[in-house]
Amino acid sequence: MKPVDLAKKLRREAAFEPAVLDRGKAALMAAIRQEVQPMRRPTIIPRLPYENVGAALSFLERAFGFREVAAARGVRADGAIDYTMVEFGDGMIGLGAQGAHGAFSPKRAGTASQYITVHVDDIDAHHQRALASGAEIVSRLHDHLRDYRVYEALDLEGHRWRFLQWLREVPQSERR
Amino acid sequence: MDSPSDAEVIGRSLDEPEAFGLVYDRHAATVLRFLGRRVGAEAAEGLLGELFRIAFERRKTFDATRANALPWLYGIGSNLLLKHRRAEARRLRASARMAAADHAADRRTSAAAFDARVLFPRVADAIDSLPDSEREALLLFVWEELPYQSVAEALELPIGTVRSRLNRARARLRELLEPNGKGRERSR
Repeated sequence: MKPVDLAKKLRREAAFEPAVLDRGKAALMAAIRQEVQPMRRPTIIPRLPYENVGAALSFLERAFGFREVAAARGVRADGAIDYTMVEFGDGMIGLGAQGAHGAFSPKRAGTASQYITVHVDDIDAHHQRALASGAEIVSRLHDHLRDYRVYEALDLEGHRWRFLQWLREVPQSERR
Repeated sequence: MDSPSDAEVIGRSLDEPEAFGLVYDRHAATVLRFLGRRVGAEAAEGLLGELFRIAFERRKTFDATRANALPWLYGIGSNLLLKHRRAEARRLRASARMAAADHAADRRTSAAAFDARVLFPRVADAIDSLPDSEREALLLFVWEELPYQSVAEALELPIGTVRSRLNRARARLRELLEPNGKGRERSR
């Protein structure tokens, strides 16, 4: 038998699950959509300084459900994350190494100079998730009047986050 | 109306990226079977995703004079497979064992079975020990049954170079497969 015919005898089909091609298509289309999506640029983007940006990022993702905007990530020569962005709903926040732009983490500065309010759809589920991930709750979950339900938590380095869910539309006349 | 050629679809995908999905619809099954033959089902699924993402990213570089994108996709796949040489070698050896067993069952003679047990692992080793460029040319030609022109497009080589690589691959296989290792003795 000729070498080529012998080689042909070793051709063997692999057995695939029927869904493989559909999964591949879905993944490709998702990658294409992400690739061509213009980077969102909200008018105002607060930026928080951290001692350890990587650890802060994974905590914010795990505890609060933020998602990294992967394209925004900048990495230092040693592989550590220097800065990146996270998004939640239509909001966006930058995370960066402290010291840059004169800003320091509360962990180093000893005090925080601002807190950030985040509106969520299901405050109880969000609170559960934060608790389970070890976030330090500094203001327990409670209803404020009958208007909104709210809690406050610190992240790993002491930045303060205020999460709230509106319970009703408050008429203009009642707003203070 | 004729459906647009791959070149037209890829051209359109420069402005409308989602049009590239049609390239997947047309060729993913063929490409997946190709990858599966080389590295098995599980690794092939991962490679399929990687291959089409790379193809999408490089779509600007697709040579629009080629109507059919399949050789181009084979070429990207061949490059990716180089990183999976171990998985490929494992699969080749397993295929050799199965081919030997099939052969033995077919013939039902102990002599033929013995030959097959020796022969097919030797074929696998011979394929595995070919230089990368010869192995790729050989497997695209023999397993994928691509014509010379398509092998040339896949490997981005002139057709004459493909011919000579295939000839070298054939000669090497013949030498490695000489009965009783005659070829091996000669080459010592």
